[in-house]
Amino acid sequence: MMATSRFFENLDALFNPETVAVIGASDNPAKLGYHVMKSLTEGGFRGTIVPVNPGAATVMGIESYPAIEGYGGSVELAVMVLPSKAVPGVMDECIRKGVRGVVLITAGFKEIDDPRGGELQADLSRVATRAELPVIGPNTFGVVNLNLSLNASFTPEFSLLRKGGVSLVSQSGGISHLMGFMAMEREVGMSKIVGLGNRLNVDFADMYSYLMSDPDTTVIALYLEGLDDPRKLMEAAKEHRGRKPVVAYKTGRAGSGDRASLSHTGSMAGRHEIYEGALKQAGILPLESAESLLDTARALAMCPLPKGSRVAILSGQAGPGMAACDLCEAHGLEVAVFQPGTQRVINDLLPPLALRTNPVDMGPAWYNALAIEGIIRAVMADEHVDGLIILMMYASANRGAPAGIAPLLLEWKQRKPVVSCFVSPQGIWDQDIRIMEGGQALVNCPSPERAALVMASLWECSKMMRYWTEEDRK
Amino acid sequence: MDEELSFCILTTVFFVLLPRLEEDVNMKEAQDVIEKALKEGRASLSEYESKNLLRLYGIPVTREKLVNDRGQLLEAAAEIGYPVVIKGCSSRLTHKTERNLVRVDVRNREEAVAAFEDLMSRMEGEGADLLVQEMIKGSRELVVGMTRDPQFGPCVMFGLGGIYTEILRDVSFRVAPLEKRDALQMAQEIRGRKILEELRGMPAADMETLCRILIKTGEIGLDNGAVKEIDINPLILSGSKPVAVDALVVLGDASASS
Repeated sequence: MMATSRFFENLDALFNPETVAVIGASDNPAKLGYHVMKSLTEGGFRGTIVPVNPGAATVMGIESYPAIEGYGGSVELAVMVLPSKAVPGVMDECIRKGVRGVVLITAGFKEIDDPRGGELQADLSRVATRAELPVIGPNTFGVVNLNLSLNASFTPEFSLLRKGGVSLVSQSGGISHLMGFMAMEREVGMSKIVGLGNRLNVDFADMYSYLMSDPDTTVIALYLEGLDDPRKLMEAAKEHRGRKPVVAYKTGRAGSGDRASLSHTGSMAGRHEIYEGALKQAGILPLESAESLLDTARALAMCPLPKGSRVAILSGQAGPGMAACDLCEAHGLEVAVFQPGTQRVINDLLPPLALRTNPVDMGPAWYNALAIEGIIRAVMADEHVDGLIILMMYASANRGAPAGIAPLLLEWKQRKPVVSCFVSPQGIWDQDIRIMEGGQALVNCPSPERAALVMASLWECSKMMRYWTEEDRK
Repeated sequence: MDEELSFCILTTVFFVLLPRLEEDVNMKEAQDVIEKALKEGRASLSEYESKNLLRLYGIPVTREKLVNDRGQLLEAAAEIGYPVVIKGCSSRLTHKTERNLVRVDVRNREEAVAAFEDLMSRMEGEGADLLVQEMIKGSRELVVGMTRDPQFGPCVMFGLGGIYTEILRDVSFRVAPLEKRDALQMAQEIRGRKILEELRGMPAADMETLCRILIKTGEIGLDNGAVKEIDINPLILSGSKPVAVDALVVLGDASASS
């Protein structure tokens, strides 16, 4: 299906509607239509909400209509949450009404065993596509556009997310909820969350192109299980190469490389291995877990990309520094060798019993905020250092440490990426970290390992982005 | 006016048509190799035919000759220059090593004759030939392959080859057609990437040629729907130069989409 420019304009209207109709709206908490209404009303959406339910005069106190065509004004987005049998008729009504986009939450289509489900979906797809009407779903939890406070899903709590630039396109509703709630906990600013569901006529390639042009999206995160036409995604990626960082998590490794074949190649070419290669070829960084997907997307939104692979690891305690160091080396980063000038400064500021070369154990200077600041300052200026990892575990006596180095880091504003791991009991360092992250001084991670993995992914992305844009300039 | 016209025609011929004709000649020969095998109902090309196909696409292969009598063998060995490698060769022979049909480091006439007698007796009645090829000296063995994925189409594989291929499984994949950046990246992606660098007195691999090999392997798949899989294993680094020392081209249903 070739997405036309009209299709993309409609997709934009789907995400930025002035009026949203909920077809199947309900006051009954046992119905999904209730939860969709709750999401829209509680989410802070400032546009018009139009419930459509022939059995009720009002839903959640808002005037309801028996059919969408009964509503006088224009409707950009229609959320359908009604039985599958009723969907074709209502789809026709929406097309006649001039609806610009549909979120089809209803299930019972291609995903069920009954072949009539698949046929129904195919019919709907033809009808919608002919009308250049984008339909997200069926069998989806919905879509969220935090920049507009639009929650067109059946989970009102998505609206608790902070607004920002990370957009997620997911093939799984479960993973979307996982990512959403992890993002909430880590205070990740998000833009759009899209559950593709059965992909009636909006697929990864379409969302990829759309988000590349969306001014609110700075980082694109994808969750994939398997595509019908992966080459389309690769083509979309080629078209937008180097514009924004894209990260992906793909599951479904079972059955990889098990095929009996006459050739080595045939028996080693599992679907998953080929996908990983294809994603990289398209300029998308594949990651190994949902946690890593979130950590990396968050960091990409908050940090510059390193210009090289050499990291300085500065730790308030030796152990976490070693942990970070091991992971850095295992994932393609180099532990930087300081310039002689830098090493001299560090040696002056730390007693000889400390581990003073990279990774640096700043522990023996715990009582001396100026020393710690001096070390960081010297390392920042070191030409052999492309990125900094700063680790600190709370220990009562160092309570003031993050606040002590904050001014320096806030002023520097990550001329090179700074990934930190400041860990303290709840409430002690939280505000200090919030201030530093809010001021783009660093990105903080919950463990040394996650900090190391984030820096490694930033470097992988850097290589990928650089490669694309350099090639294009030739 | 006439002079200008002649000039235009000549320039077109030299810079556009002739190179194109040269390409067409190779493509046509390549198609012929495959067609012949398909007509004979075969599932794969012999090593000799496989290497021929690679050669037609500009992939460096060993100098070799197909022979089936003693005289031809000695002549070929002399021409190529000892030491040589002598192998049994036929389209049905896909497990030469397991069947003990490979003789390396054949250093002179006497050894060549002995190898001839031995191999021919092992292959009695099979109507097989012998392949006499130059012996490539190089300890770094790589694998390059092509497979046809139902969703992605022809895909290229690269990695550590030789006997460790399926043990280490240190390989990377890209989807054809490959650009040079794809070839470079897939080579850098394997865990054993340092094998391509200068090490232990051996020079760094010629990346230009290696990239070309990866790109061309993908092209063979794109151009010929009947080619189902390709194995180039080992691709040996002779000094810095990659050379295909053994190859297998598996044929499939030509009507299957490419």
